[in-house]
Amino acid sequence: MTAAPAIALAVVLVSAVALFSRRAVLLYRLIRLGKPAKRFDDLPGRVRAEAVVVIGQSKLLQRWLPGLMHAAIFWGFLVLLPTILIAMIGIVDQHATLPWLGEQGWYALMVDLFAFLVLAGVITAFVIRKVQRPPRFAGSHLGEADLILLWIAGIVITLFVWHASRIALGLNEYPAAWAPISSLLARTLGGALNQTVERAAVWAHVLLVLSFLVYLPYSKHLHIFLAAVNVFFGRTKSRGRLEPVDFEAPPDTVRFGSATVADMSWKQMVDTLSCTECGRCQDVCPAYNTGKELSPKLLIMALRDQVLADGPKALASKAAKLSPLVPDAVTDNVVWDCVTCGACVRECPVGIEHIDHIVDLRRNLVMVESRFPEEAGSMLRDIDRASNPWGRAQGDRAQWAQGLDVRVLQPGEAPPDVLFWVGCAPSFDERAKKSAISTAKLLKEAGVDFAILGPREACTGDPARRMGDEYTFQKQAQQNVATLNEAKVTKIITTCPHCFNTIGSEYADFGGRYEVVHHTEFLAGLVREGRLKTLAGERKITYHDSCYLARHNDVIDEPRELVAASGQAVEMPRNRQRTFCCGAGGARMFMEEKRGRPINEERVREAAATGADTLAVGCPFCTVMLDDGVRETGAKLQVIDLASLLSEAVERRKSQNTRQSGGF
Amino acid sequence: MEEGDASKEMLTLARKFDAETHAISMEAVQPYAPDAIAALLALVADDLNASAVLAAGTDRGNDVMARLAARTGLPFAANCVAAETGEAVSLTRLRWGDSLWEMARLHSPRPIITVPPHTFPIEDGPSPAEVDVKPFVAQLDAKDQLVRVSQHIAAAGGGISLTEAKVVVSGGRGVGSREGFAIIEELAALLGGAVGCSRVVTSAGWRPHTDQVGQTGTKIAPDLYIACGISGATQHMAGCRNAKRILAINSDAEAPIMLNADYAVIGDLKEIVPAISAEIRRSR
Repeated sequence: MTAAPAIALAVVLVSAVALFSRRAVLLYRLIRLGKPAKRFDDLPGRVRAEAVVVIGQSKLLQRWLPGLMHAAIFWGFLVLLPTILIAMIGIVDQHATLPWLGEQGWYALMVDLFAFLVLAGVITAFVIRKVQRPPRFAGSHLGEADLILLWIAGIVITLFVWHASRIALGLNEYPAAWAPISSLLARTLGGALNQTVERAAVWAHVLLVLSFLVYLPYSKHLHIFLAAVNVFFGRTKSRGRLEPVDFEAPPDTVRFGSATVADMSWKQMVDTLSCTECGRCQDVCPAYNTGKELSPKLLIMALRDQVLADGPKALASKAAKLSPLVPDAVTDNVVWDCVTCGACVRECPVGIEHIDHIVDLRRNLVMVESRFPEEAGSMLRDIDRASNPWGRAQGDRAQWAQGLDVRVLQPGEAPPDVLFWVGCAPSFDERAKKSAISTAKLLKEAGVDFAILGPREACTGDPARRMGDEYTFQKQAQQNVATLNEAKVTKIITTCPHCFNTIGSEYADFGGRYEVVHHTEFLAGLVREGRLKTLAGERKITYHDSCYLARHNDVIDEPRELVAASGQAVEMPRNRQRTFCCGAGGARMFMEEKRGRPINEERVREAAATGADTLAVGCPFCTVMLDDGVRETGAKLQVIDLASLLSEAVERRKSQNTRQSGGF
Repeated sequence: MEEGDASKEMLTLARKFDAETHAISMEAVQPYAPDAIAALLALVADDLNASAVLAAGTDRGNDVMARLAARTGLPFAANCVAAETGEAVSLTRLRWGDSLWEMARLHSPRPIITVPPHTFPIEDGPSPAEVDVKPFVAQLDAKDQLVRVSQHIAAAGGGISLTEAKVVVSGGRGVGSREGFAIIEELAALLGGAVGCSRVVTSAGWRPHTDQVGQTGTKIAPDLYIACGISGATQHMAGCRNAKRILAINSDAEAPIMLNADYAVIGDLKEIVPAISAEIRRSR
């Protein structure tokens, strides 16, 4: 044993760590440049996310082939990590190894198997990229990905050659039979595996590993380090909730969304640096899939490029002139194409929260620049002045309930068991009214003690908030919370998933804490308890999950119970939490869809292809959008709210009972 | 100086406030040349040592003031509804689609301010008195006259604007095609009205977006709104709710528009609309 290899290794190791640290320190400082974000609560939830999403690879495994491919490489690397140390010890002293672990037969077996899995994974990745060529890679850095895959292949191949040479030379500390693949290689190559090959292989292996380590923080492959961090700090509950703007903060610190990279939060910085350009978000995005400018992947990549370009300037000087994110990183169109459906967020394996970026860009455009699609302006004004987005008279809010004998809760009266929060669309829109009427009738039928607020109910502010007009939203939120608290309301039913999400997940930030249930959940409960008796009919029903119910709030089973009670169910390919938006979310209901193909028609075609005759919905906005889509495409579908379907089923049961009793 | 109608109004206003009046000959800037106006204003303001420059916050007013601000490097506050002089001018301005009043202080040797139209009633001032009108003569750079209106092209479809028309004849999905609008146009022309349409029609590309009535289109308040083949979605009704009378022509008696219509004809608009036109012609 001579000192030369040890000295050489020390030099290489120190240089690699130095190069790595130089970049890592810059990235750390960029992240610290970010504005505060409250992501240190709910430790158990964060650990669970880490276990399921990172270790368990749950999001990747939603697509089985690329999922298994990635899991093989990821789990392989976890198992192989100690071999880096073993190889370095091997460089210094050919006859030494890591105490205990290096001598274990079972570990040699695991290394052998997992190294093989990594190699299989790399080959699969190449097949996916070169043969299958899924469109989700459009716009990603493809050459960089190839280089990284080759690097990984090189690392594993040199490891195999090294292990095989050690077995050929009799240097293995563990019984050779424990490493079947390396042994097979040793037998096959035989005499070719001499001392020189052994030395070359171990050096090549260590050099590849260390250079890979240095390359990582300069590449999109940085996710190896940051994905785990980003997933850990992701939202663990209330996924549909947006972070409020603190208008009461000292004037210089109020964050009106993001104008430049210096306005982004540290979580958003980590988001952009974590992106590995896999394109799963792009694949499920309703805007991208209907030919619009927005691609959630390209959005995050553009923000990352801006963080890397402008971030160092901001670090160098507080007075540095930074470029505006809109239009320098992304165009106005990209910002306004988003429906905030959350498909991208749900799909992302590294925990990127795209909606937060979009909303922050919108907040800046709306609140600072007054720049937004002008047709949406009247919605904002009407929410502010008339408390509903269409400027209808508040006095008419309870008109839908005429003749239904629904109690309108007056100030000072005792609260009902449940408050029926009707929402603007079911109060005013002719098509959406039907769901309010059916719900009220069913509640009466089951003998539920309920009331509505009538003219005291005001828009929750959801469309204003998703537009970026946080000011109008908070005004609405404070007003509604005051009304609800004053009325001592404890339990609320909504028919609108947007009201459901806003009151249930967001009003707590303004002092409003209530038990909020969607009408489909409440009605399903009444059916289960036998308070509503149903009889399924002939309808073939496909149910459209609305984003703010299924994806943002995980309500998926109760609506299906109502479908089953009403007819025969048939699922669309995109269902439950992986549903496809109707096109109305994110205040898109109040904007013209000028780019690409209409999202609602895309969804209606998917529904029609199931062969169903009925398209069931649980959201007034979806009702309007999909009903328009049916008219537009000429699909043979009836769009109907689940409450109205259930109402039919209850009537059917009643008339059957009448017929039967009439028979006696 | 030529006294057009607009300048007459200005003179009347000036007399009411007994103000010293200066008029700029607008010949070089007719019909509209924003850079040239801004250049003249800059010269006049310097010449008079004006303490502030104010204009109406119309599209043109804001356009010219923005150019003046860029030219002089002075700050510009648009859409102000109140201003109080002091060391700094205290301003109240409308922000965020008129939903917020911003109180701001403007530090500038010569504040440039616009006032949004239709926010103040015109108040009576002192009784009109004769005032001197002093001419101001200046030469303009050729480059300042590069940006100007060179030609007016009337919009296709008659020229009566949707917002001003007393009668609007509107078509929806039921019209069926771009060509189908011929009967709608015919009826609108006979009634001296404008043609409108629903969102479906603009999405299909049958009519331009400027014709769209609705939440995301134009909001109108005609004496009579004739809705042909329009179902009356909330988004559409938000644009025509202020019509004095609504006549709906629709084959679907259950369409939501029927709940909002004062008169309704149930039937095929392709028969009914030409029949109405024929009847109008006959009775004339």
